[in-house]
Amino acid sequence: MSTATIYQVEVPQPKQHGKPGGIMRHLNFFTGLIGGVVLALVFGFLMNIQFPAGAQTANFANAAAGPTFWAMMVGWVIGFMGGMGAFVGPIRWLLGRDLTHDDAEFMAGKDQGKFRYWRFTTDHKVVGIQYLIVAMIILGFGGLLAMLIRTELGATWMEVFNPDFYNSLVGTHGIAMVIAMIVIVSGPVGNFIVPLMCGARDMAFPRLNALSIWLLVCAVPPLILSLLVGGIRDGWSVYQPLNAQAGPGMIGYQTTIIVFAVSTALASVNIMTTILTMRAKGMTWSRTPILIYGSFAAAAMGLYAFPFYMYSQILSMTDRLINTSFFDPIEGGSVWLYENLFWLLGHPEVYVILIPSMAVLMELIPVFMRKPLFSYYMAIAGIVGVVGLSGLVWAHHMYMTGWAPQANYPFMLSTEMISIPVGFLVLVVIGTMWRGTFWSRLPMMAVFAVIFNKMIGGVTGIYLSDVPADQYFHGNMFVTAHFHYMLMGAGLFGAMGGIAYYFPKMTGRYLDERTGSIGFWTAFAGFQITFMSMFVAGLQGQPRRVLQFDSMFNISNWISTIGAYTIGIGMLIFLAAIISSWRSGQVASSNPWQAQTLDWQTATPVPLDNFPVLPVVTKLPYDYGVPDPLAPKTLEKEYDEKVGAPS
Amino acid sequence: MADTLTPPTDGPEAPTNRPPAMHRLREWLQRRYVRHVLIITVVVGFALLPLCWLILAAMNQSGGPASTVMEDIQQTIFVFTLVSIPITSFVFAVLIYSLFGWKGKGGDAPPNNDNPAISNNITAVITWTVSSSLLAGFLVAWGLIELADITADSYGSQPTTGQLRNADEVVINVTGQQWVWTFEYPQYDKVTTDILYLPKDRPVLFNVTSVDVIHNFWAVELGVKVDANPGAITQTGVTPNKEGIFNVRCAELCGLHHAYMETEIRVMPQDAFDSMMRENGGGSPS
Amino acid sequence: MKRFLVALVSVLIGAGVVAGVAVFAHATSGEPPLLVAEAGGTVDTPEGPMNSASLELYIYPNNSDAVPGPMEGVNALYASQGWPFYWPSTTLQVPANSLVTVTIYQYDSGGRVFNPYWAKVHGTVDGTMTVNGKTVSEWDPTKIAHTFTVHQYPDAGQPNLFVSVPLPDLGANEVGNANPYVDNPKVVTFTFKTGEPGKYVWNCEFPCGDQYQEFGGPMQQRGWMSGTLQVV
Repeated sequence: MSTATIYQVEVPQPKQHGKPGGIMRHLNFFTGLIGGVVLALVFGFLMNIQFPAGAQTANFANAAAGPTFWAMMVGWVIGFMGGMGAFVGPIRWLLGRDLTHDDAEFMAGKDQGKFRYWRFTTDHKVVGIQYLIVAMIILGFGGLLAMLIRTELGATWMEVFNPDFYNSLVGTHGIAMVIAMIVIVSGPVGNFIVPLMCGARDMAFPRLNALSIWLLVCAVPPLILSLLVGGIRDGWSVYQPLNAQAGPGMIGYQTTIIVFAVSTALASVNIMTTILTMRAKGMTWSRTPILIYGSFAAAAMGLYAFPFYMYSQILSMTDRLINTSFFDPIEGGSVWLYENLFWLLGHPEVYVILIPSMAVLMELIPVFMRKPLFSYYMAIAGIVGVVGLSGLVWAHHMYMTGWAPQANYPFMLSTEMISIPVGFLVLVVIGTMWRGTFWSRLPMMAVFAVIFNKMIGGVTGIYLSDVPADQYFHGNMFVTAHFHYMLMGAGLFGAMGGIAYYFPKMTGRYLDERTGSIGFWTAFAGFQITFMSMFVAGLQGQPRRVLQFDSMFNISNWISTIGAYTIGIGMLIFLAAIISSWRSGQVASSNPWQAQTLDWQTATPVPLDNFPVLPVVTKLPYDYGVPDPLAPKTLEKEYDEKVGAPS
Repeated sequence: MADTLTPPTDGPEAPTNRPPAMHRLREWLQRRYVRHVLIITVVVGFALLPLCWLILAAMNQSGGPASTVMEDIQQTIFVFTLVSIPITSFVFAVLIYSLFGWKGKGGDAPPNNDNPAISNNITAVITWTVSSSLLAGFLVAWGLIELADITADSYGSQPTTGQLRNADEVVINVTGQQWVWTFEYPQYDKVTTDILYLPKDRPVLFNVTSVDVIHNFWAVELGVKVDANPGAITQTGVTPNKEGIFNVRCAELCGLHHAYMETEIRVMPQDAFDSMMRENGGGSPS
Repeated sequence: MKRFLVALVSVLIGAGVVAGVAVFAHATSGEPPLLVAEAGGTVDTPEGPMNSASLELYIYPNNSDAVPGPMEGVNALYASQGWPFYWPSTTLQVPANSLVTVTIYQYDSGGRVFNPYWAKVHGTVDGTMTVNGKTVSEWDPTKIAHTFTVHQYPDAGQPNLFVSVPLPDLGANEVGNANPYVDNPKVVTFTFKTGEPGKYVWNCEFPCGDQYQEFGGPMQQRGWMSGTLQVV
């Protein structure tokens, strides 16, 4: 029996079969692509023999092309994941071949250069970067659709696209952006930064980590391709029974959601386990950085919320393919069941986006204010409060459905209550800003932008949480503007700040401040123009998801479209800043911001096993600044000196 | 810091080593940045104040409010805007003062650690928690009362027994289908129209349903909004109190021509309404 | 400097991609080409002389080699061969302030319409239409094949236009599956008045598609059972 030396310990090793890595040496993204396409074609061909597309058979009269497209989707998922090597681990396990240390190091991408980013690589830093890239690609795709949507709405005198394509644009933009926003903070930060910040050598389940990112990659093509076969015409919420009238593109959506939900569940379990079990020695719950709390909260909410989404889509899929009738009111199904399942996901999901983004900001504010985080326990209380309430508010999306008018009262109560813990987070931010001179770098500027947007989003959210006001605003452009303020204004701008902050750790270079700031502020200005005028359109009474409207809404829509193009320009400049800085930016030291959290205490680029010696934590990492000369204690002392202490 | 400490003239009365609360508050309010932040808060607050009316002006652009329900909705929105202005302008003031008062420093290296290390302030935390809870509590209370009011105004909880609560009531069966609204008047020989005709100052009961997918019956200026669900009837009602031409829009994505699923509301005096019904073949009210 | 060039290039590329996709999507959206109503002479009406125009439309139950249907663009990828459609086009243009006479040759079978309201004629001159030469104002709601319904669409910029005409069905044994179709279609003729210029949409209100409530497929796709009507 051979042995390997791991951190100065001799560890017995199982038998090595062939070269380290075995068949994984030959598998990568491209074999996955080939596997997926080939198996999709094979499955589609086989199903087409049984249920020919284009013909109207008795059983499948409702969806002639459905079974074929469904089979292709199944083939794509299995083929792609197989071609990536996702099944190699379980098969080896069945054959009784354990991984040797060399195998594990190969899987972690040791000595493979840039090509490890194309592989089923288990290293959490590789996965973090992969998440970042994938999120940016989805974001770019969603942004492209947003530009097309605004083009249509700005051209008030004509239908630029026909309505079915416009509706597909809206739906695909919605779901693409939601997916992108969920992963753009939780993915890179949760996978790259959280283990470093915990002082761990990797995630708890490195192979699940690789599985979760490649499942996400696998989920994207069905979404994009569905635009070609009828699209997702029903908004991102794909309410039943409208869903049941859509073309086979809907199967693409359902596949995406099911695969994405599995990916999210794996990632959530992984992040939660890492945080629970792998924090460094001494990192008690009262010394854990706030970002770790935020990531844990997001993972916990995701784990709770996404199964509902998956069930709703599985049930929709069976309704479509084998004529079950969960949601078909003609056959005794319930449209309200779908709405409930959907929003049981839908509302926790916005906090899955917001909480990590806020947590990143709370992490970077002390660094750039050179002050301790104000009221650390308040921040934890805010996060816990949001998580606690997030599962109890879903039906505020259903005030106007007539589902249960009496339930409007308690849901209004719980929804408005959520403004209290969210307010805690705002207090933490402005408390940390209080009386401090900030270091004006791009990440810090993002904080100002986000708090501004968050206040507007929050206040309009209070309107929407109120049933009487919602009676005007439900299904109205006002809602669209509100959730863009929350998800984009707070979520995406926060993510941009977070990327700028962690860029030196992830790439070893600074994000170029000048082009980055120009992009950021252009996007910010465009954002205000777009969504402020969208609020106006909503107040005037423009419904959501319409491509033509009364001419009284023209002016606000023109302004909105101009703003949207500005956002597009700003985002592209920011993207250019990212790309050019990544290639040839100013080289950064390992701790350029002089932050105190553990993630900045490692070398850059981070070595494969993160820390040569695992760190020990003795305090909260927010010790910045000098003791406050005006703090009550000093005041009392001074007072005592002048007035005389009571005897 | 230029802040000087002015001890109370008669000295501390209580045997404590902390100044009395009122004194500390006064001392705090005398600090330069506190006064500036408060001044900015007031300025921003007054700058935002016109929003209360501008929002209503935007909502009334197409001729509303045309019912008490819509008036209640607008009142709620007005109060919410008013109540959220102080806290919003305080946060904005801190942002503004941070940018221009406390200012930032650029540079490649972080500035010196000469900011006060305030890691907590129990007074601020308690003040914030209490005031935000009170505010949220007020909004919830207001919302619950208004909701009860609107429910009463729109007969939302009326049982579907066919018994009219109000002898005067006009019943209208609203049917949404892809992508048109039709309105049936069972009391007028089941006249069906594509335009919603309403008599002024008479309570109207809508029985809303759909024959296919979910629509949302939104009578914009009347403040009526309820989903039209397939296989279920949702009820709502309103008493229009203003004559004019208003809009029905579909507020739930319902497929291809969702954008075009709109029609008119014509609120008219009772006699004009009756003759309109007769013109459509409805005869006299039954 | 180089950074700004990179930024500029990426903005240009981005704008190019957006414009390219927009143009491509606009061009391949599968909407049939514009069909302009044929101008007729001036006719006398009680309100004085008016211009007239006429349109001829056909409704086929499925496509064939002779009548391929709107199978261009994205439709070709997944649209079913068995969908009914209006022919030669669903993108219609009629003159403003005129009497427009529409003749529809209807070759499809049918059944019960969801809402009997659509079995009546609305918005035409005298509220009537002619079916194979016979003047009627409504039809049996269980024997409808399709409807031609121009939407009520209130917009401050254009007058309302609401026209809805039921199109009677053919018996099951009268319908041909492919060209040549039976030569005894239901010929429906109706006339409506147009006002000032405006843009409208029209569609069929009879559930003649597939999937849930027979409103999927051709009903949810422009060019088959729905289109636009421009009054110019």
